Amino acid sequence: MWPLIAGEARKVLTTRVWLWLLLAAAGLTILYAVLTMAFADTPDALTAPLTTAEGQRTLFAVGGAAAPFAALLGAIGLTAEYRHRTATITFLTVPHRGQIITAKLIVHVLAGAAYAVVCISITTAVVPPWLASQDISIAVPARDLFATDLGVVTSVALFAAIGVGLGALIREQVAAVVTLLIYLFVVENILTNITALHQWTPYLPGQAQEALIGSTLTNQSLLTPWQGGLVLTAYSLAIATIGTLLTAHRDVT
Amino acid sequence: MVVAPAEHGRIVVEGVSKSFGPVRAVNELSFVVEPGGVTGFLGPNGAGKTTTLRMLLGLVTPDSGVARIGSRRYADLPTPAHEVGAVLDASGFHPARSGRDHLRVSCTLGGLPLRRVDEVLDLVGLSDAGTRRVRGYSLGMRQRLALAGALLGDPPVLILDEPTNGLDPEGIAWMRRLLQGFAEQGRTVLVSSHVLSEVQQLVDQVVIIRRGQLVHHGPLAELSGPDAHVVSIRSPRTEALTAALSAAEGCRVERAGPDRLRVTGVPASRIGDIAFAAGVMLHELTPHAVGLEDVFFSLTNATGTDSDPGVDPPGGAVTCGR
Ligand SMILES: Nc1ncnc2c1ncn2[C@@H]1O[C@H](COP(=O)(O)OP(=O)(O)OP(=O)(O)O)[C@@H](O)[C@H]1O
Ligand SMILES: [Mg+2]
Repeated sequence: MWPLIAGEARKVLTTRVWLWLLLAAAGLTILYAVLTMAFADTPDALTAPLTTAEGQRTLFAVGGAAAPFAALLGAIGLTAEYRHRTATITFLTVPHRGQIITAKLIVHVLAGAAYAVVCISITTAVVPPWLASQDISIAVPARDLFATDLGVVTSVALFAAIGVGLGALIREQVAAVVTLLIYLFVVENILTNITALHQWTPYLPGQAQEALIGSTLTNQSLLTPWQGGLVLTAYSLAIATIGTLLTAHRDVT
Repeated sequence: MVVAPAEHGRIVVEGVSKSFGPVRAVNELSFVVEPGGVTGFLGPNGAGKTTTLRMLLGLVTPDSGVARIGSRRYADLPTPAHEVGAVLDASGFHPARSGRDHLRVSCTLGGLPLRRVDEVLDLVGLSDAGTRRVRGYSLGMRQRLALAGALLGDPPVLILDEPTNGLDPEGIAWMRRLLQGFAEQGRTVLVSSHVLSEVQQLVDQVVIIRRGQLVHHGPLAELSGPDAHVVSIRSPRTEALTAALSAAEGCRVERAGPDRLRVTGVPASRIGDIAFAAGVMLHELTPHAVGLEDVFFSLTNATGTDSDPGVDPPGGAVTCGR
């Protein structure tokens, strides 16, 4: 298994897609942090005041913004095999397709975790000095802060696996990327704003992530972090399994 | 398991069929490729060559039948990179990756030492272009890179789909020397092409298919028997001449212009005799060098419905497509 993981890692690192997506993830993290810091204490803010522990925890959790980009990395990494027809060489070198998809999942999960670590570093570097400059003392217990960081790493990593699985399912690169972007940035936002669905929306992947990272948005009810983690894990396992099985059975022409 | 030497490296295709929807791409195809030679796998566009090779390499699952390398199916080979080198798609590269990185990825995945990368780049003459992105490679350079990838594991079996596509004459000559060298070392080399002339210099055995079925299998030399004559004739009385020639056994006459005929199957001297006996004068009688391409053409173009016998492929090892 080790050569497969090393080979798949080499694939990721020998093009620059990972770098552009990481920059985008970092950019969005900074943007969310700035917006939260600027508007958290205005009357119609969705976050609790930044003097409270909840508000601060939400601010520390903005690194979760890396999730869509980790998912994109996974989806692009897998669909590139079909788009550039390298799937042929890959499956010739490793005829056991289940193993190679597993290696791809592992590599992208690790890449997702790395994205999360970079984004957490950004929030860790930016938020405390800003709070200090506003004369706000840190109200989140260290334990909760650690739980948030762990949640960010786990959720972003799981989203990477979802991306790989979705890529294996769809195979068409443009379709996979568009599906991901539209779902994560449009569809889920619309669904969570329909009050009639509020009983179900906490189970959507993005909302499950919010629960897992411990951010609190005042207009949403969320699952507990554990439940969120389980739901997200279930999504990624299901989609990765379906993707792997399909890949193993479909002809490569 | 101990594998008998002859079986090792032999390619066996046994009654393989594959349909894509309504299209029967490969139909009950069987043939065996022995080590120690270069075998051409020929057929017109859409004959099913690529599909057959993909089934042989475990990329496409046959509807029925089985294809094996040695005694195993490709998917069951313990170390495929060491046992089979294959080129299926010269365009199968990530354009943003350098040729060298492409090979390094394959090496790592296949568990091969990275030093092989520079060795094969050198072997295919791409040492200088290795660090450039594949995006900027010419078609011929991509073919070389694909071949380099197939050679990474120094495999005893080489399977190449249209490897001469995009190569200049010098490139084809280079490929010929390389592949014949491999065959002389006792390796199995299977090369597909839809143009016989491109691989004619390269192969010693041919497997010819048409519409997914075997049409001819045997040594290349058998393809061009003494029967394969092509003669151009000019005469003012083509009708009378056609009638006279039609009586001759194995002779096939085609009209090539108002006063021109193209005759296959009998030598020019015989045509002269027949014309003399029939009292028809000839204004021109030009024998053409035996065209393997003509034989190939008639083998692969015989339409399924008419009674046109085409050129009978000599050698006996023939199954005609129905
Ligand atoms: N993935 C596919 N889906 C549908 N039809 C296919 C597919 N792959 C091949 N075919 C059909 O199967 C037949 C054989 O195709 P194949 O590519 O094997 O031919 P070929 O001999 O390699 O031709 P060429 O010389 O053009 O490369 C063709 O009719 C083709 O249209
Ligand atoms: Mg083909």
